[in-house]
Amino acid sequence: MKLSRRHFLAWAGLSAVGAVACEGFGIREGELNIQSPVSLPEDLVRGKDNWYASLCRNCPSCEGILVRVMEGRAKKVQGNPLYPTNQGKSHARCEAGVQALYHPDRIPGAMRRGGNRGSGQFDQIGWDSEGMETLVRQLNDRGSRAVLLTKPTRGHLGLLTSRFAQAVGAEHMNYEAVDNNTFRTAVKNVYDQDVLPDFDMENANFILSFGADFLSTWISPTRWNRGYGEFRQGEGRSHRGTLYHVDSRFSMTAANADKWIPIRPGYEGHLALSVAQVIVDENLQARGVDVDAMLGGDTGRALLNDYRPENVVGQIGLTPEIAGGDPVAFIKKLAHDFAADVQTRGPSIAIAGGSAGAHSNGLFNVEAAAVLNWLVGSVGAEGGVRLNPSGPWQDVPSSSSSASLDDMGRLIDQIRSGETRMLMLHNVDPVHGLPGSLDLEDAIVSAQDLFVVSFSPFIDDTTVLADLLLPDRVYLEDWGDDIPDPAPGYQVAGFQQPVVNPLWDLDPRSFPDVLLAAADGAGVGEQLPWSSYQAMLKDSATALFEENRGSIDAGSADEFWTALLRRGGWWDESVTGPDVPRPRAGLLRRIMEGASTPTFAGFGGEGTLYLAPFSHNTVQDGELAHLPWLQATPDPVTSVAWQTWVELNDITAERRGIREGDIVRIESSQGSIRGVAYLNPATPPEVVGVPFGGGRRHGSPYATDRPASESSNVANILEPTRVAGPQSLAWAGTRVRISPTGESVNVSKLEGNVRSVEVGLSAAEEIIKTVAPGNY
Amino acid sequence: MIPLMVAGGIFTVIVGFVVVVLFISWFSNPPFGLGNASAQPIAFPHTVHVEENNIQCEFCHRNVTKGDAATVPAVEQCLFCHKDISGRDGQAQTEIAKVQQYFADEEPIDWERVHRLPDHVRFIHEAHIRFFTSETGTGGASGQRFDINGSEVSGSLSITQTCSICHGDVGSMEEVQPKEGQSLKMGTCLDCHRVNNVPTDCTICHK
Amino acid sequence: MVTNRIDHKWGMVVDLDRCTGCQACVVACQAENNLPINTKEYFQQRRAYEWIRIERYWEGEFPNVKARFIPIMCQHCENAPCEPVCPVFATYHNDEGLNVQVYNRCVGTRYCANNCPYQVRFFNWWEPKWPERLRNQLNPDVTVRSRGVMERCSFCVQRIRRGEITVERRGVEPLTGEAIPYAEPATPTQGRYLNYQRMKEGNFLPACAQACPTNALMFGEQTDPTGPVFKYFEKANEQYDKVHHGEYVDESKTRVYRLLEEMATKPNVIYLKKVEEGAGEAH
Repeated sequence: MKLSRRHFLAWAGLSAVGAVACEGFGIREGELNIQSPVSLPEDLVRGKDNWYASLCRNCPSCEGILVRVMEGRAKKVQGNPLYPTNQGKSHARCEAGVQALYHPDRIPGAMRRGGNRGSGQFDQIGWDSEGMETLVRQLNDRGSRAVLLTKPTRGHLGLLTSRFAQAVGAEHMNYEAVDNNTFRTAVKNVYDQDVLPDFDMENANFILSFGADFLSTWISPTRWNRGYGEFRQGEGRSHRGTLYHVDSRFSMTAANADKWIPIRPGYEGHLALSVAQVIVDENLQARGVDVDAMLGGDTGRALLNDYRPENVVGQIGLTPEIAGGDPVAFIKKLAHDFAADVQTRGPSIAIAGGSAGAHSNGLFNVEAAAVLNWLVGSVGAEGGVRLNPSGPWQDVPSSSSSASLDDMGRLIDQIRSGETRMLMLHNVDPVHGLPGSLDLEDAIVSAQDLFVVSFSPFIDDTTVLADLLLPDRVYLEDWGDDIPDPAPGYQVAGFQQPVVNPLWDLDPRSFPDVLLAAADGAGVGEQLPWSSYQAMLKDSATALFEENRGSIDAGSADEFWTALLRRGGWWDESVTGPDVPRPRAGLLRRIMEGASTPTFAGFGGEGTLYLAPFSHNTVQDGELAHLPWLQATPDPVTSVAWQTWVELNDITAERRGIREGDIVRIESSQGSIRGVAYLNPATPPEVVGVPFGGGRRHGSPYATDRPASESSNVANILEPTRVAGPQSLAWAGTRVRISPTGESVNVSKLEGNVRSVEVGLSAAEEIIKTVAPGNY
Repeated sequence: MIPLMVAGGIFTVIVGFVVVVLFISWFSNPPFGLGNASAQPIAFPHTVHVEENNIQCEFCHRNVTKGDAATVPAVEQCLFCHKDISGRDGQAQTEIAKVQQYFADEEPIDWERVHRLPDHVRFIHEAHIRFFTSETGTGGASGQRFDINGSEVSGSLSITQTCSICHGDVGSMEEVQPKEGQSLKMGTCLDCHRVNNVPTDCTICHK
Repeated sequence: MVTNRIDHKWGMVVDLDRCTGCQACVVACQAENNLPINTKEYFQQRRAYEWIRIERYWEGEFPNVKARFIPIMCQHCENAPCEPVCPVFATYHNDEGLNVQVYNRCVGTRYCANNCPYQVRFFNWWEPKWPERLRNQLNPDVTVRSRGVMERCSFCVQRIRRGEITVERRGVEPLTGEAIPYAEPATPTQGRYLNYQRMKEGNFLPACAQACPTNALMFGEQTDPTGPVFKYFEKANEQYDKVHHGEYVDESKTRVYRLLEEMATKPNVIYLKKVEEGAGEAH
C-alpha cells in the first residue's frame, strides 16, 4: 500500500488514539485478584484499621507513637496521646517511620562481602547456615579484641548490649555524630544529676536560650515544641512568655525568638556571666538564694565583677546594632527581665547547649548559662528546670552518653595498630559523622586483619565497609523499650511492640535476639539469661507489675503486659525528680575559674569566616538521609530541600560576587567541600552556616544521588578540636575561607514555588499580621 | 466546505477509535470489557453452600457487618468444614482437594474479583446493612425505606435480603458473574441515596 | 430516615504565635494523603506538592532581622474563586464548610489553580510514582491522583467521614467502643455528635492538626461552643459583619483575621496574628 500524506496523518492519529486508549483502559496486572490469607491472624482484618501503640526510634528523643495498620501494612504514624513526653504530638521525623519500613533499599537478608572492602558488593547468604555461624566463629576468635559500636542506648537494649560485650570480652562504645555530652556534663556539674532535666516551658515566663535549637533538633524537640505553644498562648496564662535566643546562627529557635542575639561564636558563657553579675550586683536573685555560698566568698565576687556588662560587651561582640541601643543597658535590662520579674510574672529558664557547647570552651558556656537557673530559683521549681528520677529498674540504664572524640580517636588507633580486630556496628555511621581528618574509612580499609559486622538495616558509609551484614529489623517490626531522657518530671518507661511483620521478600532478624543467639553460640549464654528480647522485656514488665504502682492497674502480670502494650508504656507520676535544695558551695566560682575563650585551630585572621554547622531539621546528622520524605521536607528557615546549602549573609556575599545558587567552595585547614549558596539577611556577616547530614556516599539513592557540589558532608572539614572537659568534638570551632567556583545550579527550595499574585497589598505584613502584646 | 482530505482524516480517526475500543473491549474482561469473567481458581458453587446448606452470607464474608469490605474468607475458614467434608462427587472432590492443598501449602487463593469498585470510591458494606436491617433505619426517627429499584421495603430486612438488593440472588448462582442482575453505576447509587433521603454529597462516597 | 443527620460546619484556626515552622504538619499531610514524593526536580521546577506548606517571610536586615512562618493550606472559602471557573464542576463547596475536589470529574483545565489567590491547588503534571515497596504505605482511604488531575487540601475529609460513621452512624465512642446514647441534635454535645474530643481521641482530626506539636493548628466544629475554634469564628464573623455594615473595626486590637480578607473570599480558615513587641508602631 502506498502511504500517502493523508493516510499517514490518519494512521498517525489512529495510533495515538490507540496508545491513549490502551493506557486508559488497561488494568494493572493482578489488580483484579483478591487474595485471602491462609489463616486468620488477629491483626489482619480487611478494610479495618488497627492502631498499635509503639515507640519511634528515628531520633534519640523517642516519641510514643500510634501506628495505623491495615491488612498487615503500616499506613501512618501518629503521636500517642497517652505518652507523657509528646502527648499525641509528633515531629516530621516520626512520620517517616513507615518509609524506613517499606524502604526500597533495605538490606534483604544476611549477606557477606563480595568484592574488595568498600566496593559495596555483597552476596546473600543463609542466616543460620553461614551468617550466625560466621558471627559466632569470629566472636570466638576475636571477641576479646572486639568493639561493639551502637547509638547511645538506654533501656533494655543498653543493658543487653553492655552485658553482651562483657560476656564476649568486647568493648561497648556509644557513638553519635552530634552528641550532647557537654550538656550532660554540665547537668552533672551544675545540678548534680545523672539524667537530663526537663524544662517546664508551659509554666515559664521568660526563656533565655544559648545556642540550643530546642524547637528543631536539640534533645527532645517535640516535647519542647508542645511546651513552647503553651508558653506563648496557653489557655489560662495571664500573659505571653518571652523568648530570647543567643546564637551565632539564625536557627529555627532564633527565628521564633522575640529577640535574637547574634554574639561572637563561643562567647555565650561570658554573656551568661554578665547577666549573672547584674543579678548579683543589683540583688535581683530569687528569695532564699545564697549568692555568697555560690560565689564562695570575696574571690568569687571579684571574679564575677570582671563580667560587668561594660567589660564584656566589646569582647562578645554585642554591638549597639544588635542590642538596639546601648549594649550595657541591654544586658542590664535582660538581667532585669530574666530575674526581677520572677516574683510578679512567673519563673525564668536558662537553656544552653547545641552550638554554645560545641566550642573548645563549650562546657564553660553551658555551665555559666545553667547556673543562672540557680540564681533565679528555677531549679526544681514549677516553670523551671524540672529534675528527673532515673528509670524504674535498678540495673537498666536510663541515660547514656556518647563516646568522646578522644575515645573514637583511640578506637581508630587501635584499628590501625591491629589491636582491635573486630568491629560490630549497629545503626551508627562514624565514617560519615567523624571529622574527615580522623579518616576512619582509611583505618578500616587498610587494617591488616579486621573483621567488620554490621547489624544496620541500611547500607551507609560505614556499613558498606563490613564483611558481614546481619540486618536488624526496623523498629516498627521489633520489640523494644525506652526510658525517656529527659523524662517529663516523673518516672516513665515506654514500650515498643512490632506492629507488622517484615515483608515476604525481606529477612531481617532482631538485633537483640541475634546478640542472644550469638552469646549462646559462643558459649557465654549463661551470662545473658534471657530466652529472647521479648522475654527479657516481659520479665521486666512483670517486675513492674509486682511493684504495684503507677498508671496501670492490672489483676495479673499478663493483664499488665497487655495494658502496657496497648498504652505504649507505663508511668508513675508520684515518682518525681530528686529535691536539690541548693547548689554546691562555690559553684559559680568554680565555673568562673574554668572560664576560657574559644580557640579556633587552623585558619584565622582576615577573610576567614566562622563555620556554623548545624543538625538538619529532618535528616539530622545524616542518619535519616535515606528517607525521601525527610529529604524533601524544606528546611524551616531557608526552605531548601535535598541539597546541602551554604547560608551566607546577602550583603557580604554579594560583595564577594556570590549569588544564590552559586556553587561555593568552603575550605578549612582540613580540606574543602562544595555547597549551594543560599543568601539571606539573617546570617551574620562573619558566619557561614552549613547543615550536617549531606554528602553520604553509599547506600540508598535518596541519600546519595546528588553530585558532590550539591550534597556534601560538612564533618569532613571540621577541625578536630575538643571541648575541654567532656572531650567531645567542638563542631562549632572551625574557621573557613569561602570562594565561588564559577558553577551555578538551580536551588531546590520551596521559596518561590508559589508565584506572588498581585492582589493589591500582598506585602508580608498583609499576610502575616502582627499585634502588640496586651492589645488583644 | 471541509476539504475532503481533512474530512477523510477525521472520519478515519473516529472509526479507528471505535475499532480500537471495540478491539480492546472484546478481548478484555469485565467490568470494562465484553468478555467473560476469568474463571475462578476453584469452582466455588454458591448454590451448594447457600441454597442447600443454608450458610449465611456473613458467615464467610465475615467483615460485611463490621467494616468497609465484605472480605473473602481466609483459607483456614474454608477448612472449618472442609477438613471433614470432601465432596459427594468426583468434581466436587477435585475442587475441595484444591482448597485443602492451598491450606497445606500455606498459600492464599487468588480469587478473581467479580465486583470491582473504582479506586476513588468508598463503599462501606456495614453501613448499608445496618440501614436495611435495623428496626428504624440508622437514626432515631422512623420512616420509609426503599430498595435499589425504588420499591418500598417493609419492615427490616435480614442480612441476606440486604445483600441481594445489590448483588442479586447469589445463593442461586452456580458461578457469580458481574452485571448479572443489578447494574451498579454511580447513578444507581445516587438514585437509591436520593429516594432514601440519605446524604448525596460527593465526599460521602468519593475519596 | 436519616433525617437526624447533623449539619456540620468545619473550620480551622491557625495560631501564628504558636507556629514554629517545624514542618511536622507538612510531612503528616504527605503521609496521610498519598502525596507524591517531592523530588529535587519538583522543587527546582517550582512544582513541589505540599497541600499544607510553611511560608517564611523575612523582615529587616541583619542584625534586626525576623523570620515569620505561616502555614498555608486550602482556605476552604465560602466564596471560592476556584469554583465558578471550573467548566466541569469538579470543585464545589458543600454545606459543611468543605471545599471539595472531585478527582474523577476533573479534566485538568487548571483554571481553578490560576484563579486561586492562595496558590494552594496542585496539578499532577506526572503520574505519581513510588518504588514498589513504598506503595505498601499508601493510604487506602485516599485516591492516588493520576496525571492531569488537580488536587488540594481536603481537610482530611476521609478522616471526618470515618469519624462520622463511627460516632454518628454507628453510635460508638471511638476510643472505648461504648455505645453513645442518642440525643436530638439540639444538644449536640450530648448525643452522637462528632465533637472535638471524639475527633481527637478517635484519630479523626486532620493529619496536620493532629501532628502539630505546638497546637498552632486547631480544627473543629465552628458552631460547637465546647470546641477549640468556636470563639475565634464567632469573633471573625462578628468582625466580618461589622465591616460589611460599614462599622469600624480596630485592626490593631484584634488577633483574628482571614488571609487576603479584602478579596471577600470568606475562608473557613482563620488566622490569629503573631504577637510582637512594638507591632503596629512602625507602620
